[in-house]
Amino acid sequence: MTRATTARSRDRSSTWRLFAVLFREEWRLHTRLFGGWRFALFPLVIAVLAVGATVALQATGTADGTIVTGLHVLALGFGLYSGTAGFAGSDMLENVFGRLSLVLSTSTTLPLSRRRLLGVFLLKDALFYAIAFVLPMALSNAALVGLSATTPLAVATLWLSLSLVFAAGMALTVAMIAVRTRGVPTWAISGAVVLGLGGALATGSTESIWAVFVPIEGSVGNALGLVAGTVLVSVGSLALYDPTYGRPSRTASDRFARLSDALPASADGAGGALVSKTLLDLARSSGGVWKPFVSAGILLALVAALVGVVETITGIVPAPGIFFGGVLGLTAFTTYNWLTQFDSLEAYLAYPVSIADVFRAKRTAFVLVGAPTVAVPYLAAVLWFEATLVDAVVGAVLLAGYALYYYGLTVYIAGFDPNEFLFDAVRFSLFTLGVGVALVPTLVVGFVVVPPTGTVAVALGVAGVVFGAVGLVLSSRAGPRWEERSRVGE
Amino acid sequence: MAVIQVGGLRKSYGDVIAVDGMEFAVERGELYGFLGPNGAGKTTTIRALTGQLRPDRGTVRVLETDPAAEPIETRRRVGILPEQQSPPSFLTPREYLEFVGDVRDIEPERVAAQTDAWADRLGFESKLDTLHTDLSRGQQQKVMITQAFLHEPDVVFIDEPLANLDPLVQEQVKRFLVSYAAGDNAVFVSTHNIDVAEDICTRVGIVADGRIVTERSLEDGDDGSLLEVFLDRVTGADVRDAPSLDGLESELEV
Repeated sequence: MTRATTARSRDRSSTWRLFAVLFREEWRLHTRLFGGWRFALFPLVIAVLAVGATVALQATGTADGTIVTGLHVLALGFGLYSGTAGFAGSDMLENVFGRLSLVLSTSTTLPLSRRRLLGVFLLKDALFYAIAFVLPMALSNAALVGLSATTPLAVATLWLSLSLVFAAGMALTVAMIAVRTRGVPTWAISGAVVLGLGGALATGSTESIWAVFVPIEGSVGNALGLVAGTVLVSVGSLALYDPTYGRPSRTASDRFARLSDALPASADGAGGALVSKTLLDLARSSGGVWKPFVSAGILLALVAALVGVVETITGIVPAPGIFFGGVLGLTAFTTYNWLTQFDSLEAYLAYPVSIADVFRAKRTAFVLVGAPTVAVPYLAAVLWFEATLVDAVVGAVLLAGYALYYYGLTVYIAGFDPNEFLFDAVRFSLFTLGVGVALVPTLVVGFVVVPPTGTVAVALGVAGVVFGAVGLVLSSRAGPRWEERSRVGE
Repeated sequence: MAVIQVGGLRKSYGDVIAVDGMEFAVERGELYGFLGPNGAGKTTTIRALTGQLRPDRGTVRVLETDPAAEPIETRRRVGILPEQQSPPSFLTPREYLEFVGDVRDIEPERVAAQTDAWADRLGFESKLDTLHTDLSRGQQQKVMITQAFLHEPDVVFIDEPLANLDPLVQEQVKRFLVSYAAGDNAVFVSTHNIDVAEDICTRVGIVADGRIVTERSLEDGDDGSLLEVFLDRVTGADVRDAPSLDGLESELEV
């Protein structure tokens, strides 16, 4: 055996060992964070939700193709998000990779290439999530094709298709992070994405792009093209990625006092200081104040695309005000996530403020940031889809009420860690149930009664107000609830 | 009268008992060293003393407040420098200290004066407008030390005061802590570093298995090194039996 062959063999073996160690670390990280059985149950929860939703959608007459497309939209969105929700930036990259992924950070102390380590890390992530989350989603196909000898093959095919789209989503996000490490500013990356999406819409090429992102329904050539594209983008991103990238030290003029003074009277004193800190953290972290808008924009684009697909297949266009009002309220989750991303509850315990004070301040910040975040895409949706006045007004009430409700639900269940609770089976189930109780009936009405009648409009308006009140109560109780848990030492 | 009074303190996390039977008192003018190995219960005790944790049982009084019943009032009166690194914050040190001033209800003029004085003392004047997240750990520690003393509290709790500081600043901070305690205040320092404790503390409590195993005044003259006492009381071992690295190099040679 030559020396070169021995070196190659040793490289392969160490890469495999690295992969195994990273995989084990990922598993232990999740089981330690959420408890073994709570995390182990999570795929089961996903499977139950996916199969249940498929059965329910079939019962309401939704075409199989629409359901399959919807699953691919979810897989793509999850893939984009799994690349660390990351085009917003290096802060997130450092926080997630540096703090949590101990093995990944060993490239600073061991003779391991950071680029190679990152490549193996991402490969591990793709496989881990493909098994833990995408596979349970693919079980929906069992409900679509029915139980027979070919069911396992049908599930496996959908799994492969969804995994490809998931990996493509991850690759796109990683590409944006890699570009970022070459000093390209976030606004330029965001601009390129917007231009790309706008160009696709303007040239009418959305359908052909769509065909690529639903490989199970396209040709083998399309699927192979997606695989090749994903591999190319991934390899290119790793080549482009600059492991030595270091952000230059940033300075800022004193904005704290001016911002505190400009806040509403209800947020004066310690409350005003807590709100100001949250807003400045949001504005100065990578991606700036635009992060929540981008998250809302992604949701808007995904839902708008889904509406288009549904219309193509069934000929039904939902009431846009009701539909988008209900769905866009979900941005409460992403907005709150951004408001707590660079924060830690423990850090506030050095000051004479209660945890309830901190949660109150987060709610004020949420209203200040969340209102324009949802208003802009909502207005765009009702204008684009030409909602009637009644529909638009009812949708606006739903949007405000449901956003507050989803916010209350999130802070009550997840406290200060909205991102992490996505992987906790119990909390995730509770959150999903809570969202479903409000959203599912609303969407059904939005599809069935177009445009909304007077009675339906009043009923939905009342629902918006009631759910908003529930959200207010939940968010008020979140502070004392998490304060108690913190002081007990949980 | 003691400004910190702890009696029969117990705190457990599930089946794990972190602190049990903790007893001690700290008077004004003392720089009290809380010395112990990892997992001895030091951080849990500080968290109970500052109202961050509610004890299972026992009594705790800090500046005539009960931290378990009135945590905000306790934290208003004391200064706290936590061991845990602060999370990335996008405020500058100047803004961060304004934030602390607001939550502690200090007049802005006083905050500005204190900020300038501390920046000059610890040498971070040139970093006052740099984002906190972009500062080195040492610079971040300087800012955190400043926030703990910003309101000139009568009692200050400090977890590892000299972490990440260069030797020059370490000396400045040590001298400051000694003078601050001497000014009729109390400084409670939790540390692993025996040399630091020996250097600056007026009295130390050695903690092991969740309680004080011995207390020792360092003002009464030398009757044996603190290291010897520490090893004896914490591990029961004689310092002369401590593992030596001598000869390790030759043993490692193949």
